[in-house]
Amino acid sequence: MSHEQLKLELEHLPVRLLHALAKGRVQRHFRLGKRRLIEFFLSLPEDQINTIQLELQRILNVEQTRKELRHNLQAQRKTLKSLSLPTTSQFTRYPSDGKTSVSLTLEDVLEGIGIPEPTDFVPDSWQIEAVEHLAHSDVIVSAPTGSGKTYVAIEAIKQAMIANQTVIYTSPLKALSNTKFMEFSQIFGSQQVGILTGDRRDNAHAPLLIMTTEILRNLFYDAASGEIDLRLHTLGLVILDESQYLADPERGVVWEETIILCPGQARLLLLSASIGNPQELSQWLASIRPLPCHLIRHTKRSVPLRGLYLQANGPLVPLFQTQSITQGKGFTFHPDAKRLLSEYESKYLGRR
Amino acid sequence: MAPAIHPCELVEVLRRHHLTPAIIFLTSRRACDDALEAFTHEPPALSQERGETIRTFLETFSKDFPSIENHPLIPVVQAYGVAAHHAGHLPSWKIAIEELMRHGYLDAVFATTTLAAGVDFPARTVVVTQSSIRKSQDFTDLTISEIQQLAGRGGRRGKDLVGFVVITPSPYIDLHVLAKGLTGFPEPINSQFVVSYPMVLNLLKAHSLDQIEGLLAKSFAQFQLNQRAEIHQDNLDTIHSQLKPYGPRECADWITQWKVFDLARRRKSHRRPPMETDTPFVKACLPFLTPGRVVGVSKGRALILRQYRSRGTFTPMISVLKSKGTIGECHASSVTDVYDHIIEFQPLRGFPWVSPPTLTQLTQAITQLPARLPTVPILTQAPQTEETLLNDVLTDEFACPTCPSHPACKKDYAMASRLRIKSQQLEKTIQALKDGLWHQFQHKADILHKFGYLTSTYQLTQDGEWARLIRIDHSLLITELIRMDAFSGGAPELLAGVMASICHDDDRPGSYVRLSTGLSSMLSQVRTVADSLGAYESPPLLRADVAGLAEQWIGQPQSGWTALVRSTSMAEGDVYRLLARTLEFLSQLHGLRHTHPGLADSAHQAMEIMRREVLQELP
Repeated sequence: MSHEQLKLELEHLPVRLLHALAKGRVQRHFRLGKRRLIEFFLSLPEDQINTIQLELQRILNVEQTRKELRHNLQAQRKTLKSLSLPTTSQFTRYPSDGKTSVSLTLEDVLEGIGIPEPTDFVPDSWQIEAVEHLAHSDVIVSAPTGSGKTYVAIEAIKQAMIANQTVIYTSPLKALSNTKFMEFSQIFGSQQVGILTGDRRDNAHAPLLIMTTEILRNLFYDAASGEIDLRLHTLGLVILDESQYLADPERGVVWEETIILCPGQARLLLLSASIGNPQELSQWLASIRPLPCHLIRHTKRSVPLRGLYLQANGPLVPLFQTQSITQGKGFTFHPDAKRLLSEYESKYLGRR
Repeated sequence: MAPAIHPCELVEVLRRHHLTPAIIFLTSRRACDDALEAFTHEPPALSQERGETIRTFLETFSKDFPSIENHPLIPVVQAYGVAAHHAGHLPSWKIAIEELMRHGYLDAVFATTTLAAGVDFPARTVVVTQSSIRKSQDFTDLTISEIQQLAGRGGRRGKDLVGFVVITPSPYIDLHVLAKGLTGFPEPINSQFVVSYPMVLNLLKAHSLDQIEGLLAKSFAQFQLNQRAEIHQDNLDTIHSQLKPYGPRECADWITQWKVFDLARRRKSHRRPPMETDTPFVKACLPFLTPGRVVGVSKGRALILRQYRSRGTFTPMISVLKSKGTIGECHASSVTDVYDHIIEFQPLRGFPWVSPPTLTQLTQAITQLPARLPTVPILTQAPQTEETLLNDVLTDEFACPTCPSHPACKKDYAMASRLRIKSQQLEKTIQALKDGLWHQFQHKADILHKFGYLTSTYQLTQDGEWARLIRIDHSLLITELIRMDAFSGGAPELLAGVMASICHDDDRPGSYVRLSTGLSSMLSQVRTVADSLGAYESPPLLRADVAGLAEQWIGQPQSGWTALVRSTSMAEGDVYRLLARTLEFLSQLHGLRHTHPGLADSAHQAMEIMRREVLQELP
């Protein structure tokens, strides 16, 4: 194609398509008129003119198919007026690309729902790793809720009990202490488990003691001032559950005190929900404790999680474009969820 | 108000899609209870046998926990397979619901978002209806960790292949906050270390000051502070390297030297008259431009009638009588010659400055002056330059004006001093970061010394010895009350009442419960003490109604739990928590039995009476 031909072709093109061509090649092309745009294209070096020619060809093809489609549609409309037809806007803009994205359906999201075959419990590799490392170092486990941190605790307790050591298990809430007391009593037998609260001590000479973190801190205070019945010399393992409470504005200090005052020969096992900076925590622990600190960071959920969206009198639709929710990959809302929410907001909340 | 989805519709949809069991997180306890209430208007949803299973389970459960035997919500749970789980319920009831959920007997549990951490049971589906949460007074967005804590309950390991989180819109929702929370990484945690009074006392009991400094340095707070300090240290190092070219010159600390010199120079220059606009010639002329002097101006000669300064620009002006007999005003600078000739006259204060007859005489006198007059020689001094001025003024005090590195110092001073100020600031910041905790500790220790728990060398006094055993919130208030003998001879119920009002920090309203006069006068005393301690410890709420509740529970041992709960509008769970916490506080007082046997005894009595019915069920 010669310069003259190209110029003619460009002059025939609507200015809208010229701008599409200029995008990325000319700065502020939207301020240029048709003549200036064509002048600019023709002044480009040879290789760029070639690419422009190719692109021009593509645009012309697209326009051609579009025209045909529109033509067909009009013909169809004329013949089949009774049938409702999709409007042109629902056609993909560049059919030549062949890029048609079919949205995720509700069935896709609900796929695979159900109860797994009962199998023997096989601990994950990170759980085994945690228990193994506890033999010679402190361990921090940062894992999502419900991924099996309690298993690590139980195995660690079993090990310590075999070695004839005392184990202390602390939780932030009295309610959680009670739940764990019942759970551990079932596992280890009620003779083996004791619980200490602010005003009561049940079975305080058992090898496994459950208490809130405040109580343990107070025990360490008493031990330091030498008026104590705590068997500190046999204390082999201290498990701090929900250690992300370290960042609690009112009570976080208690966790720090407990960790600082914890005797050196006892291992520390910190069980925490997913937090952003477990390395920092482990560096800290390693810097103040006589033992090294092993960090186990498990971010994958053991059961995949999927998102759904539901509103009053509306259908259940997928929340995201992806089937399951993954961390750190960003998100795109499902078009249906987006549409329903905007309807809801404009209807009830007066937002646009 | 935009409608949230109706709970029955929600549960129905979940059931239809096999998404049960589900935990539905709602904004408030009220919303949970209302949701449960809504079900009672529907026909029962559960089959007979499932209802039966739940009933038998609850029956066996109530053998261990008699308090739930006749719980009013049991029929709802049986008929619809749904329950509410929030802090307003008794712990035993919550445990029962959790157990039912673990066995998979329930389809849905309505829970509050606030207690997400306390919800320790999983489900297949989690329903989220809000993206913000009430914290103290106002609503804040849920953090990523909190959202993941909620979502984490979805999907039971070994019981589900997949878990679900369902989002339903309500006025409290921002979908983007939730989406970010579900897909993002949780926030890093930061230390919240604060030094408390019991901590100071207990550390001082067992450790020397050096050891304590070491212990504080071991805290996560200090670890994080050190990390921040390291960043500052890096900045400081670059600044030090930038400061290198400005090292010692003629004098070792030239920056300070120049700073002082600069200040002195400025101060000297300020002593000069603010406006020095007169040229040297005018300045030299001025003493001669007196009334009666004959001067030469641009057009002939003139006689000066007066000299003054203009109001606006303060330039020297003269009024002159010209040879034509006119009177004019002109600048002193327009004088070209000053003649050595004076015509005496009597000046007047107002225009025309002399009496009219004299005026004509003077005009004549001017015209009759000889053609050539001797001029007064005006000696103009060259203006003193800044340099010479400085030399005059400051050489005796400073070496700078004559110093060989004067120009270099003058050029570099601005940059060098800016860098030095920055480095000093950074050094200060780093020091503060490193010493912060220790200073906090010293501050608290000084307060304790002021109150007499510590000696001036930070040894525990007799009071300090027992005060360190009080390791609860508001410890300073409680120890001060004990020292004032506020509880001496008080009945157990009074003690418990006061302790209840000190320990209760929830501001959910409760209806007023009648107090005994003894307790109310005691409470007002406690309030005075608490207010006087306000500068050292934030005062507790000291609610009278909760004090009344505790008093009633102890004062009337024969009355039951239901009667107690009926006498207040507080939720059952709140009353339980109040009494449990009071027990904890009382047990701390009981710990003082070696030093305060009377007080410990009455605390013990109160505890004995308090532990009955519901309060005995759980350890």
